[in-house]
Amino acid sequence: MGPLRSFRVELSLLGVLLLVPFFIAAPYILHVFIMLFYVAMLAVAWNILGGLTGQFSLGHAAFMAMGAYTSTLLLIEFNVTPWIGMIVGGMLAGVTAAIIFYPCFVLRGPYFALATIAFAETFRNLFTNWGMVGKAQGILLPMVDRSWYNFHFFGKLPYYYIGLVLLLVIYGSFAILERSRIGYAFKCVREDEDTASAIGINVVRYKLLAAFLSAAFTAVAGAYYAQYVRYIEPDLMLGGYSIEIVLPAIIGGIGTVGGPLLGAFLLMPISEYLRVMLGNTIPGGHLIAYAVILILIIRVKPLGLVGWLNGLRWYRQLSGAKLGVVEVMKK
Amino acid sequence: MLSGVVVQVVINGILVGGFYALMGMGLNVIFGVMKIVNFCQGELLMVGMYLTYLFTSTFGLDPYLSLPLVAVIMMCLGAVIQHGLITPLLGAANDSNLIFMTVGLMMLMQNLALVLFKSDYRTVQTGYSLKNIHLLGQVVSLPKLISFGVLIFVTFMLYAFLMKSETGKKIRATSQNPIGARLVGININRMYILSYAIGAALAGIAGTLLLPFYYVFPMVGATFTLRAFVVVVLGGLGSIKGAFVGGIVLGLLETMGAFVVGPQFKDSVVFLTFLAILILRQHFVSRAR
Repeated sequence: MGPLRSFRVELSLLGVLLLVPFFIAAPYILHVFIMLFYVAMLAVAWNILGGLTGQFSLGHAAFMAMGAYTSTLLLIEFNVTPWIGMIVGGMLAGVTAAIIFYPCFVLRGPYFALATIAFAETFRNLFTNWGMVGKAQGILLPMVDRSWYNFHFFGKLPYYYIGLVLLLVIYGSFAILERSRIGYAFKCVREDEDTASAIGINVVRYKLLAAFLSAAFTAVAGAYYAQYVRYIEPDLMLGGYSIEIVLPAIIGGIGTVGGPLLGAFLLMPISEYLRVMLGNTIPGGHLIAYAVILILIIRVKPLGLVGWLNGLRWYRQLSGAKLGVVEVMKK
Repeated sequence: MLSGVVVQVVINGILVGGFYALMGMGLNVIFGVMKIVNFCQGELLMVGMYLTYLFTSTFGLDPYLSLPLVAVIMMCLGAVIQHGLITPLLGAANDSNLIFMTVGLMMLMQNLALVLFKSDYRTVQTGYSLKNIHLLGQVVSLPKLISFGVLIFVTFMLYAFLMKSETGKKIRATSQNPIGARLVGININRMYILSYAIGAALAGIAGTLLLPFYYVFPMVGATFTLRAFVVVVLGGLGSIKGAFVGGIVLGLLETMGAFVVGPQFKDSVVFLTFLAILILRQHFVSRAR
């Protein structure tokens, strides 16, 4: 029980989420939860490269689309189950990320972010003009038998639990990673690259590992999204989507374990509520809300919500969290 | 025949490049002074375009005459953004928040425009919108040529301001060494506000000059932001002359690339060149160290 104690908040959340479908059967509510799991998966995956290693990618939507396209094309062209497609897509996106980011790792701070935007835009441009992936129209997944093999089910319930399990896997991997030797190396690279290499950390190798893991998990989430929504298009790689991947992490607390999750749980209900309330009258309403929240958080609580919560004694006692060295110094 | 096409491509490249140059210069003034990469530069251009659109469609003002008005409004907007949102973040330990502040502003401006103007494509019609003149045996659109002329004028004014005027010298001093500048009595916070205001005004001017022959929609900024970054990287960070040359080169590269590999892949050409230059530059810089 020892190490699990510090995850009290998360474990009770998991318990609640496991029970939710027993009390709420409305498909719309389940849909909101499914999208919430999806957004949270992306944010946690981004946080490996962006939060732990300090390399801000603003092109992660391309990896998400890579997972979506790979799993879909394998199913349509070769009748390979999306479960395998999900893993293949993850591997492909991870390797692609490692290869294309390798030369970019000499760039620091905003330049790296710029390079990732340029990569995502190039991918979008190529996919928009590539006949095999349906060009700009994208791909509408065909009506196949509803089965586990085809990753296609009746109702929302199976998607709900699959999403929850995937989120648990990605979140768990992040939490374990964060406290492992590798995680400490990542953070060391983030804080000071020169010091990191001086104490014998191979900076480039750890950055590559972080890029691989981050992109691979992002692609897994993308494959899940594609099989749930059953329609994919190159515009999934638009810069706006890359930013929406990053937002929960920034708002929740960049580099923290729980931050992206908290951010996603805060933003998704707001966005869905505004979508329902404003509907088609104000199409960008939820994005205005996102932008305002983002600007306010940066201005008022620069460490994000988790950074702020960890500064409160009652929350530390509740969650069993301890202040890290960095937080103590920044206080 | 072919040479005629090439001349046409070159002329178009230079005319388009002028806009990239103006955007790049705006970005460069901001970057040079505060070392901030302003992700909402293209959205400032979009705001400038909508302002011009409003002046023209509601008051019947000629787009070129609305230029000073737009420039002043954009300067005020820039000053407010800098003073209220960016200055408080300067000097904080993590520069990530600076990136995401400008990203947040980008989202805010894009989606406010979407709410106010819907996603329609809008443009202004003037008596000369469709006029052409003959230049080097080629047909060139008149508004493009006027805009390019104004743009050259603005570039010279900016250059003269930064190089010759006292305020310009203060701005340059702040960009070279903020602490030193403060020591000799320069109010650097004022210089920060001024440089962001100038950057915003340049983007607004580019928007005004663009509208007579282009259309405005809420997402128009995205392409220009990315291209402004390309210009800055091509021409060197913080350099006005470099940004101007970089803009023209990018315009030529884009039209030539579209001519060679087909217009649908011109974005890929631009961005891959950008990546190559960005990375190669960094390799040379770190080797020289």
